Amino acid sequence: MQHRSAPRRALVGFGALVLSFGLLGGSTVSARSLPSSTAPTPTIVETSWLEANLTNPKVRIIEVSTEPGLYEKGHIPGAYKFSWHTDFVDPVNRDIAQKEQFQKTARAAGVNNDSIVVLYGDKNNWFSAWGVWVFKTYGAKDVRILNGGRDKWIKEGRAFTPIPANPPKGNFTATSANRALRSFLPDVVRIAKKQDKTTKLVDIRSADEFSGKIFAPAGFQELAIRAGHIPGAVNVPWSSAVGADGTFKSPADLKKIYADAGIDGKKKVIVYCRIGERAAHTWFVLSQILGYDVKLYDGSWTEYGNSVGVPIANPAGTVWGKG
Amino acid sequence: MSVASPAIGAPGSTGGATASNWTPADTKRTLVAGLLIIGLLIAAFVLNARGEGDTTPAFSLLIGASLGIAFERGRFCFYCIFRESIEERRTTAMLSILTAIATGAIGYAVLFGLFLPNPDGEGLPPGAHISPISLPLVAGSFAFGIGMTLSGACISGHLYRLGQGYLRAIPALIGALVGFGLGFFTWNTLYLRFISEGPTLWLPRWFGYGGSVLVTLGVLALLAAVLIRMNRGDDEPRFSPSGQTLVDLRERLIVRRWGPLVTGALVGMIGVFAYLRVAPLGVTSQLSTISRTFLDSRGALPEVMHGIDLMKGCVGVVSSAITNNGWLIIGLVLASFASALSGNRFTPQLPSPTSALSALAGGVLLGWGSMTALGCTVGVLLSGTQAFALSGLVFGITAFVGVAVGLLLKLHRLA
Repeated sequence: MQHRSAPRRALVGFGALVLSFGLLGGSTVSARSLPSSTAPTPTIVETSWLEANLTNPKVRIIEVSTEPGLYEKGHIPGAYKFSWHTDFVDPVNRDIAQKEQFQKTARAAGVNNDSIVVLYGDKNNWFSAWGVWVFKTYGAKDVRILNGGRDKWIKEGRAFTPIPANPPKGNFTATSANRALRSFLPDVVRIAKKQDKTTKLVDIRSADEFSGKIFAPAGFQELAIRAGHIPGAVNVPWSSAVGADGTFKSPADLKKIYADAGIDGKKKVIVYCRIGERAAHTWFVLSQILGYDVKLYDGSWTEYGNSVGVPIANPAGTVWGKG
Repeated sequence: MSVASPAIGAPGSTGGATASNWTPADTKRTLVAGLLIIGLLIAAFVLNARGEGDTTPAFSLLIGASLGIAFERGRFCFYCIFRESIEERRTTAMLSILTAIATGAIGYAVLFGLFLPNPDGEGLPPGAHISPISLPLVAGSFAFGIGMTLSGACISGHLYRLGQGYLRAIPALIGALVGFGLGFFTWNTLYLRFISEGPTLWLPRWFGYGGSVLVTLGVLALLAAVLIRMNRGDDEPRFSPSGQTLVDLRERLIVRRWGPLVTGALVGMIGVFAYLRVAPLGVTSQLSTISRTFLDSRGALPEVMHGIDLMKGCVGVVSSAITNNGWLIIGLVLASFASALSGNRFTPQLPSPTSALSALAGGVLLGWGSMTALGCTVGVLLSGTQAFALSGLVFGITAFVGVAVGLLLKLHRLA
């Protein structure tokens, strides 16, 4: 994490005032040259760092926004566009993008095996977090998120361009999908049936979805015909992890927020949401910022709540179809 | 009734090369109009400041205001233009539509090259009004054409002419709201049976962007040549002053109708700016939003509207806030009012009961037609053809035929 490099910067003689201006674009790179035991690869970059590294050939920027047309009208110079519903997922099978397909897209985006891939997007980086998860699943080594995403970049008055990026083809080689980052239905059913007591479940949806008061927020079409949550899950909405400006809260704050819900990193964690993408945001926070052992159950409530014969918890008692 | 401005040429104007008499009352009216425009600018400034980085509402207001002025000053009324060319073979004004398409197409091609560098794939440029071609598109645009004749204007025409005091626009727009509501009820059937199966035909797939511009300009040039040949006379005597004085400039800007090429080029450019910064031009989605929100709040809408929110065109959403398109319409009506006021073309006339009823009925057809066709003469005809969508062409031809049939049936006499 970037904040860990601060003492190092002080050591090389730069004042705290200069640091506060965020001018030390190279700081994380210097951190990278340290032994990995003292400074793990940072997973968040600040806007100032990215601006200073726009021409760094090792940096590959990827925008993943949910609103169509945003990237086209303006994006961070050099950013390549990934469409979350075609480039990260398999449009036919309900699955993440197939390995070959993903490798092809990543290479078209200019991603090399040694690239620093920086993802950002709209809506608090929801879908860029999902992108990080898919990149990590396919073995990308250095994938980071732009803190605050698109909105913060704009608010700070940094440059945008409508010119699409045309990077030289990369050599990224996808590994087989890393099973350690992903959970499937049987994994969570074991927790629901208390057969697995070593893993904690975090439901990141809203409190009303968790309690079963509503099936899904207004306007969303993907539904489950049962309301409620997976038995044993705790509810920490994804938004608890970000401040008003969309940036991640400090690691100390995050640690406390999740510890208060019983998630302290001592047990393994599985996160889920409604369709599987937003939970990637919490996956990112818990695994990439706090360093916990976390898997994403991307089948999420639309799979679980529609499955036959699995136990659910529905405190509100809402019944499908009953007026 | 005679269309738009009986006052063109202004009081005392005798036409020809002489400037009209400018009275102190004209100065007063123009000052008030200027204040109105300043008010619109201040409103845009406030909207922008309140937008927390979202510039689109303010920008939409300014786009609407620019359109209102261009429409009013150039009399860019699709129905009037169609009717004059059919009934009287006065075709000069048709050139303004062709010019708007030509200018817009060039601008769109420039933007498309950025937004979607490779047009050969499966993707379409984001947001552009490129929709499937289907029977409902034909039915919707034909109904729209009939509705234009019956109510005396298309939807954009009603909006800007409302600024000129054309009060018949009010029952027509109310009818349009009803028509949108009806459109929501027929949508699912039409979508599942026809629209979802319709081919989306887009010129750049075959010709690339450069080729599409050439094809579009070629077709427009041919059409223009035919129209010019058919022409049986201009709308009004040309104003060709001997000198370049401020009085002449005032005459050109405020009193005389703007030429078709200038008007068309402005409308085309505004369309390109709108697409770049907000969304392709359209004037119906706020109206459609009002209907949809009203029906939704009463639980009257079908549970699911299939595919509707994936369609590229003017489709309303459920929202009680003013959408960008709402700001555009507010800007359009107010700026048209300011423009009409300054040229002394604001002449409110109360419609007779028959006239109001026919406008209401025509409005229903306008609403249903533009809901079903996913837009109107602006949203589909202009923004579609500018985006090289054949759906735009289909709308244009069918709506024109609809107007012709309406005239044949003498529906415009019901006014």
